[in-house]
Amino acid sequence: MQDRLHILEDLNMLYIRQMALSLEDTELQRKLDHEIRMREGACKLLAACSQREQTLEATKSLLVCNSRILSYMGELQRRKEAQVLGKSGRPSDGGRLLAERSPCRGRVCISDLRIPLMWKDTEYFKNKGDLHRWAVFLLLQLGEDIQDTEMILVDRTLTDITFQNHLIFTEAGPDFRLRLELYGACLEEDGALAGAPRRLATKLSSSLGRSSGRRVRASLESAGGSASSPVLLPTPAVGGPRYHLLAHTTLTLAAVQDGFRTHDLTLASHEEHPAWLPLYGSVCCRLVAQPLCMTQPTASGSLRVQQAGERQDWARVHGVLKGTNLLCYRQPEDADAGKEPLFTIAINKDTRVQAGELDQTTGRPFTLSISNRYGEDKVTHTLQAESRGALQSWMEALWQLFFDMSQWKQCCDEIMKIETPAPRKPPQALAKQRSLYHEMAIEPLDDIAAVTDILAQREGVRLETTPPWLAMFADQPALPRPCSPASVAPARTHPPSWGRPRTFSLDAVPPDHSAEAPRLVAPLPPHRSPRSRGLGRKGSPRTWLQSPV
Amino acid sequence: MSYIPGQPVTAVVQRVEIHKLRQGENLILGFSIGGGIDQDPSQNPFSEDKTDKGIYVTRVSEGGPAEIAGLQIGDKIMQVNGWDMTMVTHDQARKRLTKRSEEVVRLLVTRQSLQKAVHQSMLS
Repeated sequence: MQDRLHILEDLNMLYIRQMALSLEDTELQRKLDHEIRMREGACKLLAACSQREQTLEATKSLLVCNSRILSYMGELQRRKEAQVLGKSGRPSDGGRLLAERSPCRGRVCISDLRIPLMWKDTEYFKNKGDLHRWAVFLLLQLGEDIQDTEMILVDRTLTDITFQNHLIFTEAGPDFRLRLELYGACLEEDGALAGAPRRLATKLSSSLGRSSGRRVRASLESAGGSASSPVLLPTPAVGGPRYHLLAHTTLTLAAVQDGFRTHDLTLASHEEHPAWLPLYGSVCCRLVAQPLCMTQPTASGSLRVQQAGERQDWARVHGVLKGTNLLCYRQPEDADAGKEPLFTIAINKDTRVQAGELDQTTGRPFTLSISNRYGEDKVTHTLQAESRGALQSWMEALWQLFFDMSQWKQCCDEIMKIETPAPRKPPQALAKQRSLYHEMAIEPLDDIAAVTDILAQREGVRLETTPPWLAMFADQPALPRPCSPASVAPARTHPPSWGRPRTFSLDAVPPDHSAEAPRLVAPLPPHRSPRSRGLGRKGSPRTWLQSPV
Repeated sequence: MSYIPGQPVTAVVQRVEIHKLRQGENLILGFSIGGGIDQDPSQNPFSEDKTDKGIYVTRVSEGGPAEIAGLQIGDKIMQVNGWDMTMVTHDQARKRLTKRSEEVVRLLVTRQSLQKAVHQSMLS
């Protein structure tokens, strides 16, 4: 059975390679070869690795390689069809026909991806039930380009799945469709087997592996082309974790903004599904796009400019059309050196451009005028090109810019920043991520017993007798030593750091000590240092901390 | 900028993008924050509404990344990199700003002068 599968696989690979060769498309062929090799490597790694984290990573790489191969295959078939039907081999590369205009390409960057989760409160706050864990990652596809995020382990201590990746897609058109897919695999909980003796545990897990492997092989034989993994690219029959599609969505130009937005996710699984994860149903991210017309100069050349208004002199400048501005430099070298231009003419969607002769310019050929409206005023700049050909090319560049601005819409208002973060060392994604709530330590000062506990543990050696301030809270006759701020201060000089963070519900009412008030010095010495927290806070806090960041 | 529980909050905001500066081991932003839901709002010198428990900028270092980005003293921080800052504790706010893995933080801040400017332009 295994041999037959292998032969089928090899035949498929051969077919794919032949297709690529026949098209003589070296770029696609190279990418396809690369992915096939990556896939073989991932299969070998999957068969060889023993640790669960490695298996997860390898399965993920396999899934990504498969998707890429399938997408390249799709592209190949499309091109083959186009070739057979007699059209040009690369339909995406439309030449600049006079009748048809194609918008410029751009870079699309998605970052700060965050998917909120929705746990039941019994699970989250009270820690009821078994601790299930999932491995999740996102697969993003724009056109042919498929990229994946890191894999993150999720359990019910997390409120959101946060991905730190910055993904950049080049060669995107304004009609792009960025498809986002969330894959997750449920991890068999070792905790359930932790109690069992080691031998029994290994026996159970290995037998599970074999039986699920058998199931996979059986399904392959019977289905012969299941929906998720066709026989074209059979996944190796190893009893490891399987990733399922949990949710997906598609983002387009309308979702692009220089800020953070929330989008809806279409959930693909339901509660009975093995890998179901309680998703809130939305994804928050920052999606920006930089069209090339905004970041690179689209035209440049020598021009003569007449200042709008009275004077008749025509200054000779070197004009560079970049983004929504026509920058006029004194000399071409200034533009390269990055010096400030002499002046800048704005070109945005409200600008009017007109070629040809105007009243003021009789006798001067090859002119064009650019008008902008600033509030009530209309400012017109008149420019003269060097020749008819130069005028044509300037007009062409301006029309292309207007077309791009109409296609890319909000991306042309201002350049959206895209950062390429410096390569960091890979985060320890395998370490357990701690929830935001567990990171913060709300002071347990409301719980006096906890304070005495902690202080007694830390300073129990130093304080021989019961600390004098205990008298505040116990209804006992006053201790011989007076309770004064001076003796309280040493006990509070170093802020206690408790190893076990405790979360209290926000509406817990702290114990009221008003009965003790007349008997003792004010619980909050008025001259306390800004960083110490007073004892016996009554209800609302009395501090207004400032922290440098 | 008072807040009625249960009602959505609207504000005129400005985007501020701060690139953190590396100082040895740390990445600093060059400003200080005050406020939080666990703090006493009546001691906030910058808020107009003395029950506002939001996060305010209390100090901006000269020439630091925050000053360069245009952050001003007295600004109220509404959002950091997509995370809300209007209902957080002081420590949560500090942690949100000082994540070691992030080199750029994008804030949404609001200030009195912005609100006034918008009101005036709407009236005129």
